[in-house]
Amino acid sequence: MTVAGRVTRLREEFDRSFAEPARVLECGTVELLAVSAGDRPYALRLAEASGVHPDRPVTPLPTSVRGLLGVAGFAGAVVPVYDLAALLGHPVPRRPRWLLLAQGTPPLALAFHELDRHLRVPFADVVDGFDGGGQDGCLHEMVRLPDGHRPIVDVPAVRELVHRLAGHRPVPEEVR
Amino acid sequence: MAEGRDPLRFFRIEARELVDQISAGVLDLDQGGGPEPVARLLRVAHTLKGAARVVKQKEIADHAHAFEEVLIPYRGGDVPPSADAMRELLRLNDEITARVVELEDPPKPPVGTGPDEPAPAPAPAEVVVNPRAATADLDELLDAIGETTARMAPLRTGCATVERLHRSAEVLADQLRVGRSTTPATARAAAGRLAGELGSAGRRFTDAVDQIQRELDEVRARAEGLRLVPAGSMFTAMRRAVRDAADAEGKRVRFEARGAGVRMGAHLLGPVSGAFLHLVRNAVVHGIEPEPLRLAAGKPAEGTVTVEVERRGRHAVFRCLDDGRGFDMGALRDTARDRGLLPSGAGPPDDAGLLDLVLRGGISTSPSVTEVAGRAIGMDAVREVATRLRGEVKVRSTPGAGASVELAIPLVLLSMTGLNVAAGGMMVTLPLDVVCGCVRLSAEDAATAAVTGRIVYDGSAAPFLPLAEALYAGTAAPESVGIGAAVVVKGESGLFALGVDRLAGTSALVARPLPELARASPAVGSVTVDADGNPRLVLDPDGLAAEVAGGRLSEARPQATAVLTPLPILVVDDSLTTRMLERSILESAGYEVDLAASAEDALEMARTRRYGLFLTDIDMPGIDGFTFVERTRADPRLAGIPAILVSSRASAADRDRGRDAGAGAYVEKGEFDQERLLGHIERLVVRS
Repeated sequence: MTVAGRVTRLREEFDRSFAEPARVLECGTVELLAVSAGDRPYALRLAEASGVHPDRPVTPLPTSVRGLLGVAGFAGAVVPVYDLAALLGHPVPRRPRWLLLAQGTPPLALAFHELDRHLRVPFADVVDGFDGGGQDGCLHEMVRLPDGHRPIVDVPAVRELVHRLAGHRPVPEEVR
Repeated sequence: MAEGRDPLRFFRIEARELVDQISAGVLDLDQGGGPEPVARLLRVAHTLKGAARVVKQKEIADHAHAFEEVLIPYRGGDVPPSADAMRELLRLNDEITARVVELEDPPKPPVGTGPDEPAPAPAPAEVVVNPRAATADLDELLDAIGETTARMAPLRTGCATVERLHRSAEVLADQLRVGRSTTPATARAAAGRLAGELGSAGRRFTDAVDQIQRELDEVRARAEGLRLVPAGSMFTAMRRAVRDAADAEGKRVRFEARGAGVRMGAHLLGPVSGAFLHLVRNAVVHGIEPEPLRLAAGKPAEGTVTVEVERRGRHAVFRCLDDGRGFDMGALRDTARDRGLLPSGAGPPDDAGLLDLVLRGGISTSPSVTEVAGRAIGMDAVREVATRLRGEVKVRSTPGAGASVELAIPLVLLSMTGLNVAAGGMMVTLPLDVVCGCVRLSAEDAATAAVTGRIVYDGSAAPFLPLAEALYAGTAAPESVGIGAAVVVKGESGLFALGVDRLAGTSALVARPLPELARASPAVGSVTVDADGNPRLVLDPDGLAAEVAGGRLSEARPQATAVLTPLPILVVDDSLTTRMLERSILESAGYEVDLAASAEDALEMARTRRYGLFLTDIDMPGIDGFTFVERTRADPRLAGIPAILVSSRASAADRDRGRDAGAGAYVEKGEFDQERLLGHIERLVVRS
């Protein structure tokens, strides 16, 4: 094809793009992180995280709180790190590699073992009413994916579980 | 300020400092005369007068002048100032303070202490903690910054060197490309030279960067420290409150303060000092008896009110003590009954129950509310502060002997010097002020201590706990080398010892509480952030004491001590001082040490005993350090033992020579850094 022919084709494509209805990316889809924690596949809503960090050193903490691995430093702040697999009831001896900073206060990081990929799926593929049986109410939904279904971890529910485990009482005003 | 050039800008700062000195000086004078405090006060007042005149602050200048006039007759120090003179000095001090405060904050109405209580004198209800950092602190910070900047020089030189080497490399590449190089041998020699120079430049860079890193650490620690104020900053106002109350009551009362150096956030000190002003006034008015009563009871005529500040684990503890009559339990019981505060049907409450009622408010410990204080108000203030800062209050009273009110508040930020120790593959920090001593432990000692749970220290047996056990967080410690030293710690109920792998020097740090969702064993008091931005645990002596007492988990896990122990280290140096210094450093870090005064002796010793490392000087009579290292490298039985050179020679050529001889590390005496030396040893030493 000649240069003139290619120019014509590009121009037609350009013009046609205006004739198509506007696509709204956010509407009707949900962004998820496909992860694995304790060798089991899960999905996490990206909107419920304020950051994902690999290989951050975690200072181990002697504690009796289930799932509390230790503390890690984030821009000068010291943040408690909980093992997601342990919180969901199936701990493995391996130290998780990834930390997800959960939205909300007080600061909280959830550790998981592998970050598989990032996903954008239609709402329709998220199925409610998943029976998480004994996961402390942290798994309500599931996402249908070509390579199998993944339970979606409800990060706010996990946070509530952590608050319960750590005996945290919210205070109206932080004394700082 | 509306204008950039505010003529009073510097005067405000200077006047505030001078006024602080005058206030403290007057109180010093009040508690004991003498020529020295008088002369100091005169000097300060004179400076203030001069400065005030310059900026046309006539009122302040006049007051300062009047202050001088009152003081001049007492310059000789023969007679202490009369009561009238003291009163006048205090009055003038208040006047000057008020004027200076007005300058700083003109529209502010006079500060009262609360609607229930007539304000006594112009003592502020809450000590205004000077937000400006103390000059000395700033000086130290500036010094540290200056030091860091100075460390940049080698980097700059290094940049020039790299540029030069870059050019040489290009020339060499050109020659090789064009093929005009005389012979391959010359090119090889040039490349070799280049590689050598690059190597030494690289090492100099590494050293410079290491040093800058350390200096920056120091800067960071000092800057963090500036966020905190010393507890001593609230004592002057309290002394003044005691003085005023004693004056009003016609009593003689001495004020004592302890713990002025404990530093904490100004947001804590402000409210606490406010409440404690009430407490010290209460103590004077209701606690300290009138002189005849004191004398009759066999007490000194002069009463004492003491305020103590100390850090206890993760809490700051403020205590107000007096040697007065204690709370009047009978009166308290009556008041409680009258007000219907005692549950009907129950027997009379015990003393503790009554004190608890006092604490919860509603009962004054004084039969009459005087102008200066009613104890209930004081207690209310303390209780309110405790609630606000999530603290705890304890009240004790011994009839006839005095009372104490203690407020413990959790600390958010606390500056301290920490002793860093490695245990179970982790680096943790102990507050240095609770450490009584360190003892080197041989493998046998460590094993005995771990089995018996005791260690002999200072002639008695102290409980012993391997720190790795207290810190056990569920995973094995891969890097643990076994216990090499014991740190003896002063706990609430006596001494106890912690077994650590090694000591890693001290550092200034700012500790903060563990985050809310990180509930840890009581052994962990707080956390600090190290130079790499990672959290490091700061241990709590009382929590550790509890662990030691509980003998926690002693059978649950295999002993943490059954791991590799380092072989002894041979120190070679002709200087006795250096030998002894190095020995003490190494032994504190848990190593066994032999000493040799010459390289000849050392070679002899090395053939009769198995060593884990040689630490040798360079310049010695006879065989020098370089030769010693070369000879040991050449001897197949000794070649496997790493050597570290320690020398005052600082040139790159010497470093290169040391490396060529086969030394594993080179430490300059001029910049002798324990932590670094121990780091090298830890890395190199051969273990059995």
